[in-house]
Amino acid sequence: MRTIATLLLSAGLVASASQTLAGPKEDLEKFRAYFEQKFPGMQLDDFGNGAYALDASKRLQWESMEEFPPYEEFVDKGREIWEKPFKNGKSFADCFGKDPSKVRVRYPHWDSKTQQVVTLEGDINKCLKENGEKPFKWKKGPIAWLSAFFGYEARGQKINVKIPDDPKALEAYEKGKHFFYAKRGQLNMACADCHVKYAGHFIRGNLLSPALGHVTHFPVYRAKWAKKSKNGDGLGTLHRRYGGCNKQVRARPFKAQSEEYRDLEFFHQYMSNGLTINAPGYRE
Amino acid sequence: MKKSIVAVGMALLIAGCNATTPEKPMSLKEQYEAALARTKAAVEKAASVDGEWRDIRWKKSKKRYLPKAIEAAKAGDYEKALKLLKIAEFQAEMGYKQAIAEKNAGPQLYGM
Ligand code: HEC
Repeated sequence: MRTIATLLLSAGLVASASQTLAGPKEDLEKFRAYFEQKFPGMQLDDFGNGAYALDASKRLQWESMEEFPPYEEFVDKGREIWEKPFKNGKSFADCFGKDPSKVRVRYPHWDSKTQQVVTLEGDINKCLKENGEKPFKWKKGPIAWLSAFFGYEARGQKINVKIPDDPKALEAYEKGKHFFYAKRGQLNMACADCHVKYAGHFIRGNLLSPALGHVTHFPVYRAKWAKKSKNGDGLGTLHRRYGGCNKQVRARPFKAQSEEYRDLEFFHQYMSNGLTINAPGYRE
Repeated sequence: MKKSIVAVGMALLIAGCNATTPEKPMSLKEQYEAALARTKAAVEKAASVDGEWRDIRWKKSKKRYLPKAIEAAKAGDYEKALKLLKIAEFQAEMGYKQAIAEKNAGPQLYGM
């Protein structure tokens, strides 16, 4: 009798232990396997091309856009921002190091001192403030130009987010993961409903992109955003996109760079580890 | 004798009525004030679990049920205000319920 109880108990312990052991690494393996099964034969890096990887005729249009990319002048503006010294004589290189091609791959990361997820955009504004300059607005304009410049310089390198074995970092990762899978808004849909479950399907005329590879081309240049702006500037940050996707399901969007979106980014970028950076990208 | 029974019956009837009907029906303004307090509390509760929906009070929403209810009341249109609050309160309660129901949402739901 006692042995049976012990057996049951230890089986229970083993089961719960293996559940807690399922950390980021196991999540990533399953996530990737899911998409590889859903889209057999697709090259891993092709996931970074979003919906265009799934639709041949759209892909042709898109490839012709990429020949004379409309984002180029804004990447150049980003380069100018990078090169221009601050009023105190210092520059972004004093915050990020001399080589702009080494910046993008370090983000997002866990900062053990402040116990939070640090994003590239967050550090751009931190650098400005520390040097007595006015911070940029979060979602578009100069912050997106500079971020796009860092992305452009990092083309060909791989996304490489590290989740340290620190309970607080894992908590942030878990929060981001939960955000991604939880249904929200009046339409009661999760990020994962559209970009995991229904990836490759059409919704109101839009082909839904797989979440694998979502982040490789951010900041993104969208024709829709360019139309809304006065100077044809269609660049926007990842958090601008998060806000748009929350609004679509009639949930109240969070502020760009809020803890919610930084944690989401931590999870979301980690899921694309190993994919090649191809920022900025062009999208409809 | 007969008369007194009737009188007692009448008295009971009146007493009974008094016990169930409020002294005076709530005015529209009072109803509005009560509904506003309830709705605000419901919205905060939804926000506390990250469950607030888009059209309750977010500044860029076109509907903004809660601030528009307050505007309507300021203009004296309590009926309209009450209608808008009803939607806002309902959405806030649903958003809260949704967030609680989604507490354990995760990849297992997608076969991962
Ligand atoms: C109702 C469906 C829906 C939901 C829910 C949704 N999105 Fe989207 N999302 C879209 C559509 C439609 C597009 C544009 C087509 C595409 O690229 O998938 C898009 C685009 C994106 C893109 C840009 C893809 C690219 O290639 O440039 C990202 C990133 C994204 N969504 C992330 C998210 C995140 C994170 C969430 C959860 C907060 C989310 N989405 C929730 C429908 C949705």
